[in-house]
Amino acid sequence: MKSKIKKIINNMNLSRVRFWIQLFSFVLFVYGGYFAIDLGSKLPIFTCPYNEQSGATCYLIPLQHQLSMPAQILLGGAGISVIVGLVTFLFWFIFLNKAWCGYVCPFGTFQDWLTSLRKSMGIRYSTYTQNQFERLSKIKYVLLAIVLLAPLLMGVGALGSEWSAAFCQICPARIISPMFSGDLSQWKIDFSTKTSMILTAIGMIFAGLFLVGSFIKKRFFCFFCPMSALHFIFSKFSIVQLTKDGSKCSTCGDCYAVCDMQIKDIADDVKSTNILRDDCILCLKCVAACPENDALHFDIFKIRAFSSTREGFEKRMGLHKPKGDSGE
Amino acid sequence: MVEFIKRDKNDIFNKPLLGFLLKNRKFLMSLRVVVSALFFYGIYYGFAHPGKENLFTGALFWGIFWALFMVATLPSFGRIFCGICPHGFLGKYITKYGLQKTMPKWMQNRYIGITLLVIGWWGIYYTFPSFWKSPLTTALLFYGVTLLAFTFYIIYKDMSYCKYICPIGTLTRAYDKLSFTKLETYTDSCKDCRTFECASACSYNLKPFSFAKKNQADDCTLCMDCATSCEAVKFTLTKPSEQLFSRFKTLNAEVWTYILILGAIPISMSFAHGLNRTKIADSMIWNQTANYFGMSEYAGGFAFAYAIFFTIFFSVLGLFLASKVLKKEYTLTFATLGYAYAPLFILGSLGHTLGSFFTSDYQEIVGGFAQAFGLVVEVEPLAHRGDSWLSYFGVLKWIGVLWAFILIYKRMKLIEASKVRKVFAYFFSSFLLFFFIGLNFYSGYVFKTYGAKERGDSMHKSAMGALKKERPQSEGSYAKRGQMQESEPIYFTLTDPKKAVSGSKRGSMSHGSGDKKRVPSKEAWLVYGKDITNAKAIPEIQIETFYYDTKKKPNELKVEMKKGSRVYSFETPENGYYNLYAKSEIQTDKEFLYKVAKLEYLSGRHGVETLYSPKVKERVLTDKTKIDLIRIKKDEENSFFYKSVMGEELAFKALFESLPLRDATLVITMQSGWSKKVQTDEDGVAKFHIIRDYFPEWGSFDKRHKEEMLLTLFHMPKESEQYILTYPLSFYPNSSDYASYGYALLLISLTLFISGVIVYRFRKNRTKPFSELRHEE
Repeated sequence: MKSKIKKIINNMNLSRVRFWIQLFSFVLFVYGGYFAIDLGSKLPIFTCPYNEQSGATCYLIPLQHQLSMPAQILLGGAGISVIVGLVTFLFWFIFLNKAWCGYVCPFGTFQDWLTSLRKSMGIRYSTYTQNQFERLSKIKYVLLAIVLLAPLLMGVGALGSEWSAAFCQICPARIISPMFSGDLSQWKIDFSTKTSMILTAIGMIFAGLFLVGSFIKKRFFCFFCPMSALHFIFSKFSIVQLTKDGSKCSTCGDCYAVCDMQIKDIADDVKSTNILRDDCILCLKCVAACPENDALHFDIFKIRAFSSTREGFEKRMGLHKPKGDSGE
Repeated sequence: MVEFIKRDKNDIFNKPLLGFLLKNRKFLMSLRVVVSALFFYGIYYGFAHPGKENLFTGALFWGIFWALFMVATLPSFGRIFCGICPHGFLGKYITKYGLQKTMPKWMQNRYIGITLLVIGWWGIYYTFPSFWKSPLTTALLFYGVTLLAFTFYIIYKDMSYCKYICPIGTLTRAYDKLSFTKLETYTDSCKDCRTFECASACSYNLKPFSFAKKNQADDCTLCMDCATSCEAVKFTLTKPSEQLFSRFKTLNAEVWTYILILGAIPISMSFAHGLNRTKIADSMIWNQTANYFGMSEYAGGFAFAYAIFFTIFFSVLGLFLASKVLKKEYTLTFATLGYAYAPLFILGSLGHTLGSFFTSDYQEIVGGFAQAFGLVVEVEPLAHRGDSWLSYFGVLKWIGVLWAFILIYKRMKLIEASKVRKVFAYFFSSFLLFFFIGLNFYSGYVFKTYGAKERGDSMHKSAMGALKKERPQSEGSYAKRGQMQESEPIYFTLTDPKKAVSGSKRGSMSHGSGDKKRVPSKEAWLVYGKDITNAKAIPEIQIETFYYDTKKKPNELKVEMKKGSRVYSFETPENGYYNLYAKSEIQTDKEFLYKVAKLEYLSGRHGVETLYSPKVKERVLTDKTKIDLIRIKKDEENSFFYKSVMGEELAFKALFESLPLRDATLVITMQSGWSKKVQTDEDGVAKFHIIRDYFPEWGSFDKRHKEEMLLTLFHMPKESEQYILTYPLSFYPNSSDYASYGYALLLISLTLFISGVIVYRFRKNRTKPFSELRHEE
């Protein structure tokens, strides 16, 4: 019985399962407001509060607001609210680890849909060279630093109040998410002060780059996402992990080929068992694409929940049946 | 000896500037000569100018070296303090020509130095607070220590003074373990070495080639003699306190140093300086004990003794219980887990020292040096007490606590025991940490509940008395001049009228300076005058004030005198609407005047977890005033951060004795002086639009440019009876004033276009078929 369930899971058509989960969570987090759903304001995904119908709120906005309190208040009793916020965030986070990005984040889902649009139009996708990859992957930490430092500087009076939620001002999700509920009011440049003018203009440019970028490059924005950087700091503490058994790996490179995030370690690194890297979105495409038994597996509480198997690989690739559906 | 080595990436000798300087004998020599010269000049200066006018000696010893430099370098680079110490520097040469005797066994005791420091320095410091403060005693102290050191250097070999007698020798050795640097050697290269230049270069008779294997650098003072003698010596960057994560030969004296210094500095300080400054200081146990023995002038010494006792008690008890739970020997547990207490003192102290560097020490140091070298320098302190950014240094203490918790976890791994035992042992060995945290919370609590003692009581009172005498006169003169007429309306304002007159800082109120109250509160003033921007504080008149909080419960407004004007304050613990009222009834010969000032304040603070529900908007019904004006809130108002904007239509309902008031006059006065009259309809409702009445220069445009307006409701049921109610409001420019959609569209399409072109070009170039270069013949 147990092995039967295992077999069903290991043989599942991952891309279809993922599509439905993503669709469900997209509706939940983008249109949740219409169903009076409110999952709080500490979610580890880009479910943007500027979209008034969102079913929850991205953690970065309360984090920025809390950190921007005047230093004395922040370091007094109000510091507790920051800790409470962080703990709530972690509470959500530990359940899914970075799968929040690959399965839940509506902004990520939107990028996947842009990718499938591109695919249906028959346009090729772009990739970075390894050199570009290494250099660009540091940007998300720079953005995370903006998220954390701008409010702190505001709290000590070094920056004016127009820096409130500075990252949100430049975040493309602020501009694009409200569009899903027909709200175009974020498409604006705020001429009230010079700072907000510059910040919102950068936001506009980022939104434009986002649209072009995610059309020609898979998961374009996730590569620069500060939330992803914040995730990675805590990813060790999560109950779900992506693990690799290097001794079973034949370094065929299938996993690297399907990886939306172009993570080379997934194929090259045969030493580390924890193969979750900072760019990973835990979409599990690599596990699905791996032809070796148990070389890659997705663990919940160290129990293998989804493993790579020869059989599952063949099934997904349609190698047995001449008319099987072809997974990615 | 190794001539050349390929250095690791994290080797500091591999870094461009530091690597060069640290391996440069001439630089190190001149640095030490300069430091020694300063040291002896400081002593000389102390003797030459023993009085209080001498700033230099204090600034040099207590400003730079002993607090700032040592505390800042120990948990970072390590023992470089010892590396530049004049005693060690000169001691090397003295030892070379000295008697080179072996130190007797009883003197080779590391507790000598630490005892000297804790009792001889800190004990005296607390018991006789002013003893060490004068330049003369400072100079005498260092003169004495120098003589002592030199005597020891002459007699004994291997710098034994530094290892055993020096009061801070064991301390620096102990706290060096927290640093993120490590001096060791490339062991692969050392395997074939038979000459051991590193060891023979070392004045301390240490063996640098064994440091890597031992995972510690013994008494190394980072003098870099070995590094200049052999290339195989490396000075690497590590994780902070990485040494403590794995095994090394432990030394009980080091653990005792952590415990005693923690007791002698942060804990004694918070007893003798922190809690002793509160109003309930007399009921503290050390003061009680001191009084019992009739030695209340030495209460500081008792505080010190109690602090040492408590610290030892909690650490020893905790580690003893941990050893019982782990079923290991007490000495082993003590030596293993005790190292985890290291960060507690040093990081809190670092925060404290950095804070005082910015507020006062910087000024003293620059001033002291200017004095000593005859320069004329005017310095301002870099920051003022109470500057908000300084409080970030306070976070360092908590980082230290967190670090200690992590270290216990890491050190616990070095002990073999079952998991359950370890969990309990973790709890027990954290006793000292709990005590430290508890003490911090407790003194915070005491300061907040009981407050600080007033300094110089008598002086304070007399000054207050003088103020009190002055006040009635000045206010009397207001009344005499007759500026405020009885029929003139009074209204609330949230800005200090005195500040508004002088035109200082706009909008800095909410970030108030030094507002440390636990419950946030808001201040309001009662003013009069037609010009809203230049209103005057009302003179002393009979007035009744109260407010309704977010739960619509009536409360008294707190009245205080601040800077000569009456301040009405109310607590705003929760987000929501607060309704303030002030009421006065005046019967003159001609008429009866009933004046009410109302203010509806919306408190919206981020980080407060109050939920916005329709209940928030519900109106307050008061029976305490006869006349009332209520703003009818719209459906769009669904957040605590709602702001009225230009162009918005506002609706008000006027009530008289809780019934709708018809045909009353509502006068709207804007900040610019523009005003308009509206009549209430049969439901008592009056509606109007906020007009946009200012067009600033683009450069000075600020969307947070708040504007004020004042509504005044007049009602005259009889000729001789007048009811007046005021209602101030503030509003902001409408977002359509500054949000520009066209530019956004242009910008986003330009980005799309340009990046599209770039992508297209890039791809085209990549797919261009290979073509041979053609050379022109």
